[in-house]
This record gives sequence, structure tokens and C-alpha cells, in this order.
Amino acid sequence: MTLTAIWLLPLVGGILIAFIPPRFAKWLGVLVALVTLGISGGVALAFAPGYHGYQFTEQVPWIPQLHVFYHLGVDGISIWLVVLNALLTVIAVLATPLTMRNVNRFIGLMLAMSAGMAGVFLAVDLVLFYVFWEAMLIPAYFLLWLFGEGERPARAAIKFVLFTLTGSLLMLVGVIGEYVFTGQQTFDLAKLATIAPSANIQFGLFFVFALAFAIKTPLFPFHSWLPSAYLAAPTPMLVTFAGVMGKAGAYGFLRIAVPLFPNPVGWWDWRWVIPSLAVAAIIWGALMAIAQRDMKLLVAYSSVSHMGFIVLGIFAYNVQGQQGAILQMVNHGIIIPALFLFVAWIADRTGTRDRSALAGLAPRMPVMAGVFTIVVLAALGLPGLNSFVGEFMTLLGAWERAPVLAAIGAVGLVLAPVYMLRMFQGAMYGEPVGQGPSGDIQAGQLALVTPLIVLMFAIGLYPYALTQLMTSVAQAGLYK
Amino acid sequence: MTLAEVLPTYGWSQALADLGQISPIATLLGFMLFAIVADLVIPPKRRSGVVAMIAVTGLAYSLGTAAYRWLYEQGGPAYSGMATGDSFALFFDVLFASLGILTVAISHSYLQKRGMREGEFHILMLGSIIGMMVLASATSLVTVFLGLELLSIALYIASGFARDDNRSQEAAAKYLLVGGFASAFVLYGMALVYGAAGTTLIPEIAKQVSGTAANNPLLTLGIVLMGVGFAFKVSAAPFHMWTPDVYQGAPIPVTAFMSVGTKAAAFAMIIRVFAGGLPHLAPEWQALLAFVAATSMVVGNLMAITQSSLKRLLAYSGVAQAGYVLIGVIAGGKIGLAAVLYYLFVYMFMNFGAFAVVTLLAGPDGDRDRLSDLSGLYRRNWPMAVLMTIFMLSLAGFPPTVGFFGKLFLFTAGVSAGYTWLVVLALIMSVVSVYYYVRVLVPVWSTTGRAEPLRASPSSTLAIVLSGVLSVALGLYPTTLLVAAQFGALPYGGP
Repeated sequence: MTLTAIWLLPLVGGILIAFIPPRFAKWLGVLVALVTLGISGGVALAFAPGYHGYQFTEQVPWIPQLHVFYHLGVDGISIWLVVLNALLTVIAVLATPLTMRNVNRFIGLMLAMSAGMAGVFLAVDLVLFYVFWEAMLIPAYFLLWLFGEGERPARAAIKFVLFTLTGSLLMLVGVIGEYVFTGQQTFDLAKLATIAPSANIQFGLFFVFALAFAIKTPLFPFHSWLPSAYLAAPTPMLVTFAGVMGKAGAYGFLRIAVPLFPNPVGWWDWRWVIPSLAVAAIIWGALMAIAQRDMKLLVAYSSVSHMGFIVLGIFAYNVQGQQGAILQMVNHGIIIPALFLFVAWIADRTGTRDRSALAGLAPRMPVMAGVFTIVVLAALGLPGLNSFVGEFMTLLGAWERAPVLAAIGAVGLVLAPVYMLRMFQGAMYGEPVGQGPSGDIQAGQLALVTPLIVLMFAIGLYPYALTQLMTSVAQAGLYK
Repeated sequence: MTLAEVLPTYGWSQALADLGQISPIATLLGFMLFAIVADLVIPPKRRSGVVAMIAVTGLAYSLGTAAYRWLYEQGGPAYSGMATGDSFALFFDVLFASLGILTVAISHSYLQKRGMREGEFHILMLGSIIGMMVLASATSLVTVFLGLELLSIALYIASGFARDDNRSQEAAAKYLLVGGFASAFVLYGMALVYGAAGTTLIPEIAKQVSGTAANNPLLTLGIVLMGVGFAFKVSAAPFHMWTPDVYQGAPIPVTAFMSVGTKAAAFAMIIRVFAGGLPHLAPEWQALLAFVAATSMVVGNLMAITQSSLKRLLAYSGVAQAGYVLIGVIAGGKIGLAAVLYYLFVYMFMNFGAFAVVTLLAGPDGDRDRLSDLSGLYRRNWPMAVLMTIFMLSLAGFPPTVGFFGKLFLFTAGVSAGYTWLVVLALIMSVVSVYYYVRVLVPVWSTTGRAEPLRASPSSTLAIVLSGVLSVALGLYPTTLLVAAQFGALPYGGP
């Protein structure tokens, strides 16, 4: 029941909160999110690192006619994402301004989306995975549409939904195909990983799954929904939307596409196509980030670039690469929300997100500038902070597979300081222009990012704490 | 055999056994006659509601009878093989009776609001339901045609029930002409099949056709003609042209009723005749139906995008949905037909629910079914807005609603039977469908538009809430209904 509580509690809580008076909504939401975080943290602490396989499993027959089970479990890959999701949900709810219209519905939908994402990471049955995968779209759509910013949030929302659905509805063919073509009539992920259909079938099924995951991640050239969606999304939503939902795509690659289809070779070899696209995403995302003036868009494109590293690591097909990818999923989930929060706070104080219109904020916002420095340095992969370890490991893994992939991918590491430092320098130093900010960040906002900052240092200085739990399990889950 | 020879051998015990097999139909027929008498006898002032009560009681009684027979009695052929009370028939009896109850529940306040005669309306609905039940029980081409006409004629009249509304009259005329045309096709096809097989009893046809008759060109032509007629009735493309016009013109409760009922009845007819009577010619009719399914999914989904009337939008959505269901029919077998029955049953709740919400919007002057009429629904009556959202998400096939599980079952059957291309097409078109289903939700949750509260009568509320709850509950817990659907499909699904 422990794992069920992790997704059911926010869902039920979310539905209740949507119908209570707005003034209680935030604190009740925080309470629900904190309890969920407590349960997730408890599971992580009780997690047995040496055990090869799913832990805390719950299995109940759901649709016996099709051999569908309500089957949950966590392993070294998913446990971190579950905890990350719970943590970011707390931060997102805390970051929600009380002055928002219909704040109770907003928090209710946020919790429902968080429940869907938790379900994706917890599900061990392919149909259950699919149900959560699709279901999390519904709250995401309503959040983008009803609470979106900008001129046409409805347009961004429908674009996001249609892009994602094109991939995920075709994935349904893959789900059914796994059931039919393996000849085993099972949806159990652990069992499916031990039986692979013929190479031709694998080629086709890999395509439908990879398309869904590539759109969700997003991978070049399927990323065009992302800028408009991130631009429209309100900041509290972005904390989990950018921080966790993109990881669902990468998680899908690691959990389904890689282990279920060891040999997806037909007209061409998918095992080379996807890493090539990942490298393209790294470069393209970085170049687009350099070109942006709107800081929110800049961070959005930097996210595309960073997700490229994660996918590159997964398709290195070795332990370093995949371990690095998992670590990097967590790192990215810590850094991106922090970046978006800072961009929103700067915009709040100065009234603009245009980096060329901002200058000389540091002397007038010293605290903000100090903390923002850490986040920016973490984002561009400075040694000693968390992102360095992950990116290094993914590139090491990629080098072992094919040096050329790592070499081109490393260009992304060079480009990251260009867009990040340019944004930071331009906004924080130089001759002040205009009226200047209306004040430094508040204590509450500082408290909000403190856990993220602490984690940046903790993982950067002692990554072994996480990777020791990933090694054995990543190996057991992916390589027999 | 002449009648004089048959009669002496047809004793009372046989008569009772036969009547028992069709008891859900017989009870409903009794109640319908009672309703006609009541409508004539009771003075107009006190008549309101009485006929509705009789109709609901009769439908509930019929439903109970079907459920009882389902649980405790052995179904089998009746009337020398003309009809049957097998589990397939009973499954549809339950479906039609439930649909009837839902229809009566939403139409009472609608008819009062529009000032229409209530008694005749409910009697027509009962007549149509009896036709549908006869169709589901038919094991002879003659009985099939009897049921088809019975259900259609009642609906021709019901579509024109808004007598002072020109569009309603137009709908009735159009439906009558096109429906008659479709019936003619079916009848011609039946005649040709009869010519080839020498019998109208469907199980006998299956035996005859297994031999040399399979190569008979008459039979192929018969299949094509019947297939065209059936496609008319399930409103599958390219024979769907009448659907949007008729749906738009007919009063909404009638549209709601026929969008689910006629479709389910026509699918029952297709399975009875094709899967039951012509299993040895499966490649022929499967190819025909695969073509129809593919066209329906493409045409229905693409045409729905540009509609501004909800009734027309749902009409085209119905065309597309018919395409999805046909995949299950083509796949056949235990899982295919069970998936069809499951989908038709849950389609009742999601599609009927959507129409029922639109029914509430109607004013004394007519139906208000433009998309903009929905605007502000969230502020006018938020439970209805939530329910409408559930119905649309379910029609679009989002989990955890029934729409998703229905599609999962249909498509699993399709891929298992080797129709992967059809399933891929269906899923690509489903992406298109999300666009227009979500378009309906935009006005529902918009902050502009009317603000005055929207009142719903208790019976309407009950019907809509029940549909909404079942649209989710039957998805979260599909097992029981799926077991029932498998049992219902048993006569044609094999072990």
C-alpha cells in the first residue's frame, strides 16, 4: 500500500482541494505534498541497494482477460524520480502565489498532475504505465490552458497535447504489439525484458515507443511544442512540468525502449539513430538558447540541450552512460526549476524577462545575485556542483560507445557557458539601466530554493551516495 | 408444411417456452400496449408523467426479466428458429432497456419545456426499443428485417416530433427516404442470399454456404448489398450522409437515443448475419467492412473538426466511432466480439451523457446546440461542466475513462487478428479526434457567455450523473462488464 499511497494521496487530495475555499487550499496542498514526500523519502531510505529487481511491489489482477495487473514497484532507476517528483511538488505548491485566481483549482490540478507522474515511475505493468502516461496529460492540459500566461495559452496547450498524443497514441500500438507479438500475452515489464520478439518486429515497436518518448523528452526535431508550452506555463507549474515531466520521456527510453528491444534493427539500426538525434538536440538546444533574448525561452532551450545529454547517456549502452543519465535526470530536475524560479522573480521585480533590457541588478539585489550564481554555475556544469558529475559520466559512456558522439556532444558543454554566463553577466553586472528592481528576493523565496541549492552541492561533492544505489540495479534491470 | 399441419403440434408448453425465450420483448410489448391505453383513457390534464412512469416501469421490468434469464435460465432458439433468447440477445436487451430508461429520464422535462405531447413520445420510444430487441434476438433474415423496420419506423416519426420546427420535419423526411433506401438494400441482399442458400434461417444458411454454394456470385452480391444497408444503419462512411442532418434536426432526446440505440442494434444485426450466417465467407465481408471502417474513421474525424453545431459534431464523431467498433467486428472471435459488446455498452454512457448535457441547454423555442451555447457552463452549473468534460475525454479515449479501455480491447483484438494497419490508422485519427473533443471543452470552461444558473430536473441530473460515474467506474473496474460481454459474445465468439 505504500507505493499506492504515493500516487493516490495527491490525487485524492487534489480532487478535494479543488472544491474547498481558496484560502485553505495552499496550506492543505502543502500538507498533502509534504506527507507524500515523507512517504517517498521513507521508501528511499528503506530501499535495499543490493537487491536486483523491483522492491515494495504490489500486484493485484486488474483486467484478468488481458492479463493486465495493477503492479507497482521501484528500483534504482525509478526511486530517485519518485522522490524528485514529491520534492518538486512541495516546492511548486509553496511557490504558488495566494493571489492567483481559483488558486484551489490550480493546486488541485498540480497535485493531480504530480500523481500521474508518480504513477508513471511506479508502474511495472505496461498498460498501467500507459494509463498514467496519458492521464497526466489531462491536468497538464487544463493547467496550461486555464492558468497559462501570455497571449494565447489555449493554443500552446492544445499544441502540447496534440504533439504528445501523436506519439503516445501510436505507443498504444506498441503496447498492444508487445502483448501480441512476443507470444507470451503479458504486459509485465520484468517478464517482457526477458523475451524479445524478432528483429523486424522490434524495429517497428521500437519506433512507436521511441517516437512517444522522443516527443515527451523532447528530442530534436520533436521539440517544437516545448518553447510555446514553457512560455505559457505559470512558474509554479514549470517547477514540476519542466522538472519532472520531461524526465518521463527519458525514463521511458531507459525503462522500456532499451531493455525491451535489445536488437531493433531493420532498415536501419535505431541504436545509432537515437544517440545521433540526442547529439543534435544538445547542439541545437544550445544554439537556440544563445539566440534568445527572453530569459524564460533561453532556459527552455537550455533544457532541450541538457535532455540531449541524458538520452545520449542512455543510448551509450553501458553502465557509466546510463548511471550518468539517471543522475543527470535528477540533476536537471533540481537545476531547471531553480532557473525558472529565478527568471520569474527577476521578472517580478523588474517587469521584464528580456535579458538585453536588464543590467546591473547585482548591486541592488545582492542576495539574489549570490544565489543565482550558484544555480547558473550548476547549470553550466562547474566541477563541484551536481551537473558536472552527470554530464561527465554520460560523455564518458558515449566515448566508450563511439568517440565521435562524445566529441560532438562535448561542444554542448562549451556552448552552455556562452548562453548561461551571457545571461547572468548581462543581467547582473554592467551599467544599471532603467528604474531598477523593486527589491531583493524575500526570505520565503530564499527558503524555497534552499533545498535545491543544498542538493546541488551535496550531489556535486558526494555523487556516490546516489550512484551506489544505481549501479547494481541499473545493471540488473537492463543487462541480464 | 402448411399452417394446419403445424398448429396441432404447437402445444401450450411449446408456446410458453417460446414466449419465455423472448420474455424481455414480450413484457415490454405488454407495457407499451398498456401505455397506449392509458394515454387514451386518462384525461389530458392528469396525463402528464403517467405514461413516462409506465414506460420506465416497463423498461425496468424488461431489464429485470433479461437479467433474470441471463443468470438463471438457459437461452435457446424459439419459434422454430426464427428468434432466440441466447446470451447475445439478452446482453443487448439489457443495453436497450437501460438506454430507454435514460432516455425517458432526460426527455420528461425537455418535452415539457418545448410543449410537446409526452405520451406519444414515450410510446414511440418503447416501440423503437422493441424493434431493437427483436433485431438482437433475430436468427432468421425475416425476423431481422422485421426488427429493422420496427425500430426505424418509430424513429422516423420521432425525428419529426417537433412539428412546428422545419428542421425537424426535414430530418424526418430525409431519414425516411434514406432509411427506406437502406432497408431496400438490405432486403435485396437478403433475397439474393436466400436464393443462394435456400433458407432464411441464419444457422441453416451457415450450413448451406459451407459447401459448394460458397462460390455462388449471388452470395457475394448479397453480402455487398446487405453490407451497404448495414453501413447505412450504423452510419458508417461512405453511407453516413444522412447522419448529421438527421441528428441535427431531430429533437435532442431522440438524437441521443438513436445515436446509441440504432448503432448498437445495427451492430447486433451485422454480427448475427455476417458472423452467424456467413462465417465461411469471412474474407469477403471482412474486406468490405475493413474498407468501410477505414473510410469512416478518416471521414468522420476530419469532418467533425469544422462543425459548429454540437449535434453535427457528435454525429461525425459517431461515424468515426462506428469505424473503431467495426475493427472489433472484423477481428471477430472471443476477444473481438467481447470488445465490441463492451464498447457498445460503455458508448451508451459516454455518448448519451454528452447529448443529455446538451438537452439541458434547450429552450422553449428549440434546441440550443451550437458550441457557443455551451459557453459559461462551468459558471452556470459546475457539476454538469465536470461531467461534460468526462464525457468528452472518454469519447477521445483518455484513460482512466471507459473510452480508453474500450479502445484498448478493440485494438488488441485488431492487432491479434492481423489488422495492425487498421489499428494504426485508428490511432492516428484518434489524435485528430482529440482536437475537436477538446474544442467542445473550451466554451464549457470559458469565463464569458451566459451566467444565469442552468437548472436540471432531478431525473435528468440522475441520468447524467449515473452516466458520468459509470463512464469512469466501468473503466477503473472493467472486469465484470468484460466477463458479461464475453458471455454475451459466446454464441459467435467460440470458447
